[in-house]
Amino acid sequence: MKTAKINVKDGDLLTTLRDFYRSILQLEDISAILVPQHLPAKNVVMPTLVTDPKQLNGADPLAPVFPLNGAKIVSRLTRKPMGAKIAVVLRPCEIRAFVELVKLKQGRTEEVVLVGIDCLGAFKNGDYIQINGKKEAAFTSRFYKDALSGKKLTFEGFDLAPACRACENPVPNGADILIGLFGVDTDNQLLIQARTPKGETLYDKLDLYDTEEPTERSAAVKSLVTERSAYRDKMFAETTEATNSLEKLNTYFAECVNCYNCRVACPVCYCKECVFVTDVFNHDPVQYLRWANRKGVIKMPTDTVFYHMTRIAHMSTSCVGCGQCTNACPNDIPVMELFRTVSYHTQKAFEYEAGRSIEDDLPLSVFREDELAEVVGIGKAA
Amino acid sequence: MKKKIGKALVVGAGISGIRAALDLAEFGYGVTLIDQSPHIGGILSQLDYQFPTDRCGMCKMLPMVDRDTSSQYCLRKGLFHENIDIRLSTELVSVEGEPGNFQVLLRQKPNLVDPSRCIGCGECVKVCPVEVPDAFNTGLSGRKAIYLPVPHAIPNAYIIDTNVCSRCGECEAVCSTGAIKLLEEVRKDFRILVVDDELIMRDSLKAWLEDEGFAVDIAASGSEALNHLSKQAYELMLVDIKMPGMDGVELLQKAKEVFPDLSVVMMTAYATVETAVEAMKIGALDYLLKPFDPDTLIPMIIRTYQDLEASKEPPMEVGALVLCGGTSYFDPAGGKNTYGYGMYPNVVTSLEFERILSGTGPNQGRLVRLSDGKPLRKVAWLQCVGSRDIQIDADYCSSICCMHAIKEALVAKERAGGALEAAIFYMDMRTFGKSFQRYRDRAETEHGVRFEKGRVHSVLYDENSGDLIVRHVDYSGTHIEEIFDMVVLSVGQRPALGTTALAEMVEMPLNQWGFGQTEPFSLTRTSKEGIVLGGSFSGLKDISESVIQASAAALSASRIIHAAGGSLSLEISSVEPFPDISQEPPRILIAVCTCGDLLAKLLDTQQLVRCLKVDPAVDQVDFLEQTCTVTGWENLIERVEKHKPNRILIGSCLPYVYAQKIKELGRRVGLNPALIEVVDLMLMAQSSNLKSETLSADEISKINSELLSILGTGLARLKWADPDPVPSQKILQKALVVGGGIAGMSSALAIADHGFQVDLIEQEEMLGGNLNWLQRTLEGNTTKTILDETLLKVEKHPLIRIHTNCRVRASHGQVGRFYTTVEDEEKGAFTLEHGVTILAAGGVEADTTSYNYGTSEAIVTQKDLERKIHNNTLDQSRLESIVMIQCVDSRQEPRNYCSRICCTTALKHALHFKEKNPEIDIYILYRDMMTYGFTESYYTQARKAGVIFIQYDLAEKPQVTPTDGFVRVTAVEPIIGKSVQIYADLVVLATGIVPRLPKDLAESFGATLDRDGFFEEAESKWRPVDSLKEGIFACGLAHSPRNITESIATAEAAAQRALRILSHERMPAGKVLAEVRHSLCSLCERCIEACPYGARMVDPELEKVLVNAAMCQGCGSCATVCPNSASTLAGFLDQQMFDVIDSAFEGTA
Repeated sequence: MKTAKINVKDGDLLTTLRDFYRSILQLEDISAILVPQHLPAKNVVMPTLVTDPKQLNGADPLAPVFPLNGAKIVSRLTRKPMGAKIAVVLRPCEIRAFVELVKLKQGRTEEVVLVGIDCLGAFKNGDYIQINGKKEAAFTSRFYKDALSGKKLTFEGFDLAPACRACENPVPNGADILIGLFGVDTDNQLLIQARTPKGETLYDKLDLYDTEEPTERSAAVKSLVTERSAYRDKMFAETTEATNSLEKLNTYFAECVNCYNCRVACPVCYCKECVFVTDVFNHDPVQYLRWANRKGVIKMPTDTVFYHMTRIAHMSTSCVGCGQCTNACPNDIPVMELFRTVSYHTQKAFEYEAGRSIEDDLPLSVFREDELAEVVGIGKAA
Repeated sequence: MKKKIGKALVVGAGISGIRAALDLAEFGYGVTLIDQSPHIGGILSQLDYQFPTDRCGMCKMLPMVDRDTSSQYCLRKGLFHENIDIRLSTELVSVEGEPGNFQVLLRQKPNLVDPSRCIGCGECVKVCPVEVPDAFNTGLSGRKAIYLPVPHAIPNAYIIDTNVCSRCGECEAVCSTGAIKLLEEVRKDFRILVVDDELIMRDSLKAWLEDEGFAVDIAASGSEALNHLSKQAYELMLVDIKMPGMDGVELLQKAKEVFPDLSVVMMTAYATVETAVEAMKIGALDYLLKPFDPDTLIPMIIRTYQDLEASKEPPMEVGALVLCGGTSYFDPAGGKNTYGYGMYPNVVTSLEFERILSGTGPNQGRLVRLSDGKPLRKVAWLQCVGSRDIQIDADYCSSICCMHAIKEALVAKERAGGALEAAIFYMDMRTFGKSFQRYRDRAETEHGVRFEKGRVHSVLYDENSGDLIVRHVDYSGTHIEEIFDMVVLSVGQRPALGTTALAEMVEMPLNQWGFGQTEPFSLTRTSKEGIVLGGSFSGLKDISESVIQASAAALSASRIIHAAGGSLSLEISSVEPFPDISQEPPRILIAVCTCGDLLAKLLDTQQLVRCLKVDPAVDQVDFLEQTCTVTGWENLIERVEKHKPNRILIGSCLPYVYAQKIKELGRRVGLNPALIEVVDLMLMAQSSNLKSETLSADEISKINSELLSILGTGLARLKWADPDPVPSQKILQKALVVGGGIAGMSSALAIADHGFQVDLIEQEEMLGGNLNWLQRTLEGNTTKTILDETLLKVEKHPLIRIHTNCRVRASHGQVGRFYTTVEDEEKGAFTLEHGVTILAAGGVEADTTSYNYGTSEAIVTQKDLERKIHNNTLDQSRLESIVMIQCVDSRQEPRNYCSRICCTTALKHALHFKEKNPEIDIYILYRDMMTYGFTESYYTQARKAGVIFIQYDLAEKPQVTPTDGFVRVTAVEPIIGKSVQIYADLVVLATGIVPRLPKDLAESFGATLDRDGFFEEAESKWRPVDSLKEGIFACGLAHSPRNITESIATAEAAAQRALRILSHERMPAGKVLAEVRHSLCSLCERCIEACPYGARMVDPELEKVLVNAAMCQGCGSCATVCPNSASTLAGFLDQQMFDVIDSAFEGTA
């Protein structure tokens, strides 16, 4: 794996990154770059598709927020041939979601170079708006410096989003080009790594000097993953306890109003239209009466837990744990917590990890006679 | 719509009979399928597991095109097909006429239980006092006189074994549906006159016959008899020959003068048999030998009665007969070495062991000994019991027992969780089929099955433990004794019971061992035109070979029917389209069958009607008695005609039975059958424990709510039922055959002979393939005859276009229309359009560098030898010593398969040399001699002729060193345990066959190849010539190594499979068909991956997923993987299923 370091001028990571992105965009065969930027209006951070290198001044890949999972955007850009190649700057969970979408034929890798950056985590959308209410331009710098120096990441009383605190994938392993921060002397340097042949081709054009990965890096990553795994396991235990009966599950989703925002926000929920908003669930009026008759009372709208369970059944094997579902919930239901808890088990059962590799087949499109013997009942008895 | 009018009779409803019948039926012929047993499935109904999957899979034979004409559930349970009339317990009585126009008479054993009324409740069994061994479980368990012939049939009606029934009448009394009629009313109309001067004879005959329900009169003399005859009509007269005054013969003469149609059976003592025979010449039907007892007399009279009844029916007209009578098995108790069978309880036959393994067997599948319940931990299989045994005139191999034994050993091991030791004692492991060698190797290396070479000479019994001591001699000559819990005898084949009589009846030859004999180069045609053989009737075959042969037999039969003009005529169908009710609100008539008064007792009808009518879709609820009877059914029709509903729900029993009736009802009342639904109410009534006479109100309301829920599920299905006509796929009625060898030519001819155009592609300059160098077969038939004959027909055929010097470059498309680009060496590329494809690209002898091949003129391959003998480039007179080495590079990785023809080729050449010069030394170095079936006798013949057979092991292969003038061959002779050196003038290597079907070519057609490069079957056992992709078939050496005759059989089978499709101008899809709601589809293509039939594709221009209606089998896998129901399955819409589930839970909240 080709690895290089680029110098950080004046300890300013953002400027260095912007320059790096600019150098990518200036390559002959890269027509555009997708990168999160502070937009002038309201100072929000949104993905932008940039073709003019001068328009990269607001690029802010380290801002602790991602209002939507960029995989959905990349899917739109790559669904069909574009006739040009682009680079996209994504967080690890966005890359992993994109890998799932590619397998679901919702995106193509042929014309895209994935540029991943070590993820420092993000706040919930709402929290970020609260924290950054002052529209502090330097907030990102304050944040990444704290994050990289290991300080507690509490701002204005807000912690990082639970999804990020439980994320054991802070490194964008699936990227073509990786930008490394962990275990790197970020005051002076950034790590650039070509992780795929495609990444290498681009790397070679970038006029970089080969070097070794810093020895501290793997230990730094490991320690971060350990910390986050502990948080994650605690979250799993609490969520399991909160949902281990139908009654508790009903309680868990008690505030749900069937707005389906979570499924809109979900990067891997790729259906053009969710079945729950089609005629399938547009029951006959008399049907509601019949149900009510049977029990004497039914909660309206109906099919709430059914909806969430269906979404879990459909998508939990592809869930990357980005937490956008929780972000999207108007009533603060911890949707991510349940999804991740279930996904952890379903993915383990199929020896599958969402977003790990494009080569792994989607578990439900593979039939192995010897898997899940206790369920299928035809595995080798001996 | 063109429908083939023409009919075939298939005799025997085992696996090959079913295959042949289905093939003919799918092509469009009418088929009558008969079996003498009361169930279909033949031997397979007793075998639960088949290798290589070690499971069943029979259902894979069900029609996949126009599949709604057939039942689509477990084929072991039963079969319905619109074009097949299945008659069980039926035998063939006579065949008259000529090919294409036979008249056949059938005899059906009377059924004392009406299957349309029997609901299978089993109450009759409880009261039946007679208990006999159950043949289904090979006598290992018992059954009553009234019993289920197999445990799994649908509908599973009880039958009465009239041979053992005591006619006590208990079952008749207890039967709630009146299905049992012991005393058949009709027999009373059959009057018999008994004429005998002895009073005791007259009286006992009268009593016995009246017991059977016949009307009987007696006469003491000839004149008295004539007197009776003048007053009363009789069907049958039994006449004693020796009577004072007018004797029996004179009475016969006189009676026949006046009543020429009277049937007369003579009764005679042994002394006057000759007279009786004379009497038959002047018109007696048969004679009975005195003294007789009722056990022999009654069945004979009943047969006569049935024959006479059968002959009253007009004979059935059929174009051809396919005989699929199967085989029976050797009974070791009757052999010279019984191995203790019949004496020691734990010596069983392979078939009995199959039942022991079965969940429906005597132990419910638990692996314990029947005698003492000891768990089976060590089992021995003894091969070749009743096969390959000259002492008992069984100089043949039974072909299937080796694989059968390995399968049993593996299933037993799996059952025992590995804690079972299995040893197979064998002479040669005949793993000659595709994939068999690897199966055997895995059994040995992965599962630890022990293979012991050698014949066991005796089995002893330890009375204390019940264990068995197997004694055999190993290669070193050491006597070995080993203790086993059970010994399984792999019993060989014997001709099926009644084969001789059947052969005589149809004037068809049998081979020297009594099996059906076919014509040279055909596995199906007999010397009697119009009579073809399927399956094991001509010698035991495994499933895939039986299925191939059955399809080939169907083709031969079809050719005859077609040639006799019984095809392609237009059937005038006056079916009017059903009225369109799609704009009407549902108006449902619910008809509940009360099954006599059974259900009426259990429910509150008024309450039920009230509850049902809550649903505005329910128009009318009617209760009918016994819709299964003609009266009940007419009642139903009357109600329908009166109320004119636009949907009908029938609540009754056995919904399967109604499939055909619904179609008929629809036609009669002008309602699309898709709008008629049947739900099973009896299952609930039977399973409820409410058998008491008086039920409490609570109990009645509970039953009511259960009934409501069942009817509710039916209503839900019905409300969402879609009466739209099913789509169909247009079929381009042309075939492409790739490969012009004997297989390709045979399949092309078979298709063209049915009136469809064929393009035949051959890459060489001339047609003929391997037959251009092969000279003759082991049996001595010259290959030139078949080649010339076929070539002539192919070249002259107006419907066959031959393209030699051509190669297929690429192909795309789906069944119904393929586009194939062909490159002509001279003319360049052109495109052919066709509806089906047959891959017959052939195979060649494998190249080798082993054994110093190529370094000496004296080292040749079997093919080289055949050519040298033919073109006289071999000085045969000079030869003194020849060594033949078998399995060169074969049956070991990477070519770990048997090429099947090499052993017989070696024998052919060895016998040829021995015939020329009996003094010549011939050594055949072999691993296992694969002389399966009747070729075994040539192996015996070769040994008798002095050919020396030396077995070698892979670990110690022979060494071949060319020296001056001769070749030195060193090999280890296992019996003497020493290395031997042979100085040979000629070393002949059997290198086997490699296929010539290029992978990319196969893939461009959508077919796949196995790891050895042969065509991969959709299913090796049940769909052996089909590709998983519909419309692609393979035959000949591209399919698997096989001899000429067997190759032709695959070609005919492939052609038959192709014809099923070609015979349709449009191929209708099934009613249950997948559809795509494009507005919801995200094009994730998961449905395409999930479709096991390759019926879906994405059209990149339309940006849509399309479903090929003819290929879709309605399995629903696509709908299952589709997360937002953009992919749906007609008949199983989400809304419909939710409603059904809701109804099923009705009353349980």
